Amino acid sequence: MPRLMGIDIPDNKRIEIALRYIHGIGPTRAAFILEQTKIDPGKRANTLTADEIRAIIAVIQANFHVEGDLRREVSQNIRRLVSIGSYRGMRHRKGLPVRGQRTRTNARTRKGAKHTVGAVRDKAERNALKNAAK
Amino acid sequence: MPRSLKKGPYVEESLLAKVEKMNQSARKQPIKTWSRRSMITPEFVGLTFSIHNGKTFLPIFITENMVGHRLGEFAPTRTFKKHGATTDKATK
Repeated sequence: MPRLMGIDIPDNKRIEIALRYIHGIGPTRAAFILEQTKIDPGKRANTLTADEIRAIIAVIQANFHVEGDLRREVSQNIRRLVSIGSYRGMRHRKGLPVRGQRTRTNARTRKGAKHTVGAVRDKAERNALKNAAK
Repeated sequence: MPRSLKKGPYVEESLLAKVEKMNQSARKQPIKTWSRRSMITPEFVGLTFSIHNGKTFLPIFITENMVGHRLGEFAPTRTFKKHGATTDKATK
């Protein structure tokens, strides 16, 4: 099985698909890489020659940040936003949507699974909670 | 869609004039501004701005990392009072 960019071992799929298993490579970049290296997109990943693998790695390293580097870059960008005290940084810190989406409903990707708050029905219980909070 | 590069960053004219004046004078006082939409340019670094948040002016010291952001991003306009059935709105 071919090893690309460290730990990524795409299986016996077409390489145009297998390349997308690398973090930071999607359809556009996969097509670009194969065009640069002149490899047939339909070729199976496990039939690649050592030369072809080397060529793919060369193109990726020359053009893109992938895997660990990319993840580090992204988290650094977020850390910058947080450290300068910007609105976007604050939204990241709170785990809420960053780009102005609504939060009255939806926003479940950022907020995680629903947790119901709900009112306390019993009046005595409610007063007890209120006094405990004071 | 981002702003056209041809135009350059947007900074309120009057604010830019104040920044230049402040950079020439030795003592640095906070610059009071309502112009939250003005972009922070490299000349702003090292100055303190009192940015209006709709109610009060928040003093914000500008560092190098903030260049390219807008002043308003550093002065939040909303205050979040916590959720929950246990907080009785009427008593607060």
